[in-house]
Amino acid sequence: MDADIEELRSGYLNKDFDEVTFQLDATRMAEYAKVCGEIDPKFTDPANDDFQAPPTFVSTLVGGKTLPKDLPRPDGVGMDAGKYVEWMSPIRGGATLVGKTHLHDIYTKTGRSGRMIFFVTRMELFDGDSHIANADTRTVFREKSSE
Amino acid sequence: MSDSVENITDVEFGVELPAFAPDTSLENVKHHGEFIGWGSGRFVDHEIARSQGFPGAIVPGVMSQGFLGAMIHRWAPNAVITAIDTVFRAPVLVDQPHKINGVVTDINEEEGTVEIDISITNEADETRVFGTATARLPVDGTQ
Repeated sequence: MDADIEELRSGYLNKDFDEVTFQLDATRMAEYAKVCGEIDPKFTDPANDDFQAPPTFVSTLVGGKTLPKDLPRPDGVGMDAGKYVEWMSPIRGGATLVGKTHLHDIYTKTGRSGRMIFFVTRMELFDGDSHIANADTRTVFREKSSE
Repeated sequence: MSDSVENITDVEFGVELPAFAPDTSLENVKHHGEFIGWGSGRFVDHEIARSQGFPGAIVPGVMSQGFLGAMIHRWAPNAVITAIDTVFRAPVLVDQPHKINGVVTDINEEEGTVEIDISITNEADETRVFGTATARLPVDGTQ
């Protein structure tokens, strides 16, 4: 692994840098489900007895910061390279969730256009003491090739 | 064979999930922007998106991920998606027809879980989004 990436990893991984509270709105959850093509009333009808958000809804919960404020930014513009959701229990309308965010991974890939640096930001979502989901965002910065 | 499955024993290795046509219309993306977010220029205005170097307005990644989750729920209404990973390889363009695809690549009947390769392709059959999902289905009628 490149020395600069080792240094970033040792300095920034697994340290919470953001905390946000979300008050979940059932209408917003249902509208997300419908635009995505869900048809089960447990996702689309807030009046359903088992109403809950589709697991991918947690990807829409965005914290105040996507990267630590003091993280040295690579050159270029960060692009959203992907999202990962780990679901643990149902996400209900009206719930109050707390999202705690840390850098979960930093790694590189090298292609013909140069090195790409990936930052994996993980938001751990809690409903009270219950850890109910993880939402990861991969942000990629493409470095310009020196050749 | 039915287009949907109820239990883990109904799942066949290698089966392709029945897909629906995801609604990538500007109207639907604007609706997403209004209620959910990602309602800024590049998502809801073709001209602004072109001025930023895109071929046209782009579907938010969170919406693309949602299309793939909905495909799994339609195929297996009793399934719980416990993990879904999506890589945004290239933009999904607004107002362009796309296909969503899913193939079962692993089955664990004891645990009641399936692994599914998922993707979104455009009319030229180019992959725009790809990834994997894990879903848990009832074993012997129980979750």
